[in-house]
Amino acid sequence: MSDTKNPNTLNFEIDEGKYKTLYRRQIFRLILTYVLPLLLLILFFQIEYDKINKESTILHLKSTAETQAQTLDLFLRERVVNLLNLIDDPRFEENILKNNIDVFLDKLKKDSEAFIDIGYFDSSGIQNLYSGPFPNLRNINYSKEQWFQTLISNSQRYVITDIYLGFRNLPHFTIAVKKYSNGKISILRATLEPIKIYNFLLSTTVFRDVLITLVNKEGKFQLTNPGLGKVLETSPFRPPQEPKVGFSEAIINGKTFDFGYCWLTQTNWCVIASSEKQNLIVGSSFQKTTLIISLFTILFLTFVIFVRAKKIVEFEKEKEIAEMEKKLARLQLEHASKLAAVGELAAGIAHEINNPLAIIASEAGLIKDLINPDFKQNITFSDLIPHLDNIQQSAFRARDITRKLMTFVRRDDLKLDYYDVNQIINELLEGFVEHELFVSNITLEKNLQPNLPKVWVDANSLRQVILNLLNNAKDAITGQGKITISTFQDGEFVYISVKDTGCGISQEQMDKIFLPFYTTKPVGKGTGLGLSVSYNIIKSFGGTIRVESIVGKGSKFTIVLPIQNKLQ
Amino acid sequence: MEEKKIKLLVVDDEVQFLDSITKRLELRGFEVTKATNGTEAIDLARKKKFDIALVDLKMPGLDGKQVLEILKSEHKYIEVIILTGHGSLDSAVECTKLGAFDYLPKPYELEDLILKLKEVYKARLEKKFRDDKEKMDKIFQIALGNSPIAILEELKKLDDEEK
Repeated sequence: MSDTKNPNTLNFEIDEGKYKTLYRRQIFRLILTYVLPLLLLILFFQIEYDKINKESTILHLKSTAETQAQTLDLFLRERVVNLLNLIDDPRFEENILKNNIDVFLDKLKKDSEAFIDIGYFDSSGIQNLYSGPFPNLRNINYSKEQWFQTLISNSQRYVITDIYLGFRNLPHFTIAVKKYSNGKISILRATLEPIKIYNFLLSTTVFRDVLITLVNKEGKFQLTNPGLGKVLETSPFRPPQEPKVGFSEAIINGKTFDFGYCWLTQTNWCVIASSEKQNLIVGSSFQKTTLIISLFTILFLTFVIFVRAKKIVEFEKEKEIAEMEKKLARLQLEHASKLAAVGELAAGIAHEINNPLAIIASEAGLIKDLINPDFKQNITFSDLIPHLDNIQQSAFRARDITRKLMTFVRRDDLKLDYYDVNQIINELLEGFVEHELFVSNITLEKNLQPNLPKVWVDANSLRQVILNLLNNAKDAITGQGKITISTFQDGEFVYISVKDTGCGISQEQMDKIFLPFYTTKPVGKGTGLGLSVSYNIIKSFGGTIRVESIVGKGSKFTIVLPIQNKLQ
Repeated sequence: MEEKKIKLLVVDDEVQFLDSITKRLELRGFEVTKATNGTEAIDLARKKKFDIALVDLKMPGLDGKQVLEILKSEHKYIEVIILTGHGSLDSAVECTKLGAFDYLPKPYELEDLILKLKEVYKARLEKKFRDDKEKMDKIFQIALGNSPIAILEELKKLDDEEK
């Protein structure tokens, strides 16, 4: 009995490492389920938002450049028309002859404040007449100037120059117009203030963050924001010639500037609308707000996940503890019922042991008598041998019974394995049941199907269940009767049935027989644990117990065991 | 032992036990007849008068209780001692209510059995003596005021009772 375990000292420890792993897994799983999709959504949203913002910024820069270019074109055309009006005026020749060019300048200045001065040329290229703040420019020969040569050689009646420093050494640009009359060419030339034009352009710009500049074909600044460079310096903006309206990028002081551009139709200028920022339209605050809200949501969600994972782990732990306690209680109950079942048999077993003891006592006494001289038996050694043999046999008989009893009562841990049901039944019957039934006038019939497939069970537990059913069958029989124990296979299952010709079970009793502590046996005889524990044992093997009974005729209990146990 | 041997019927399905106890009792002057089951015992009792029957309680076929009932119903003066190896004494006690003189749990000391046998035999003799005396009184009563034919009839009735 030294290997017998007390059910209270069963292994009852919680594997903490398992729960740490479970905790980590839960967090990982929950984050994967809830946080990751949200993160991806936020990322997607941010990327899409940036894309849309950039697209709309580009669109805006382009349209700004286009609008400004159109405005500038219109402005320049108006200025050309101003000059053409003067030169085409019938009184033009008259005024020239009178040297009255100041009148022209007054008129021009009324049209636009951008006009600085005005001069008159003939085909020689010498500025014959001049009105404006630089009188020393009069009589200077402009015939080598590019604008002059272009105007003379081209069919177009006007020319608009790039911005240049010229003789006066100040940034300005020129609009010149020509007229042929009487085979003679007259040229009127006005210079304009770029700053005035620039201010005009800026006044029509909507966004502060958009910088407007003007470059020429060579990429030189014509008009510029002081932050980007100086007039006539080479600009970082290199708008392509084609298409006329478009979008590009430039790097200034290490910063990437997006810019929209539009080439003018009147001259080789290009309006550049540039911005360092890409979120020109909606602004960054909205994006920032959504980002912060998202981050807080994620933070909160993560917190909730951690709390939740902890709860889940605690719940699982409690469940395991409860299950362990349940298992422990079940084991204790099983053991108790096993003892009870043995107790029910105890009387029978006592009989089995007392009989050989009686033989031993009796034979020993007889030998004493035989060698007692008083009885004058003249006994020889060989006369004694059969009696001594009987003593020995009886001692072994008693030993076998106690041994078998012990193997049954021993409290082992479950040893699940494939067992031959027939072998278990035969061992059990040979142990003490067969003889017990024999002396109780109960016929035992065995219908064991040979070559049954083995089933995955614990032999001790199954033995207990069968013994229990046999005990019940025996108790159900008063006087003579018959118990039939059969085994057979049907499909995926092995069946063990114990049939008796006893009193049977009423419908009312039938509802309760599997309940613990329900018994129909007299007080002290049954504990009411047998069937309920038996049922639990068979259930733990993935099987079940079926009952059929007719009152007065007998009952049949059938254990159904799956051959392929799903629980293993 | 006295001049007359006490006639015993021992009924037990354990042959080894039956043989040894028989031999031991015979050595002590008892006249012992063996039976290995209830039916055999009842048959033997019908053929021969026994003073005392030692009957094992648990036997295949007729058990001790049934044998006790049959013997007691068939023989007026037979006394029965129930032997039992059974752990619980409930059924043995029940047997004494059914008419067994006493019971003896197995295994037992032979001296106890012999003591008991003598006790039973004495009680049986006393009972027989009492009954005989009663019978004599009755016969005397009958003989007092009856015709010879009536006396014969009454005597026959008494004999029938006795068996």
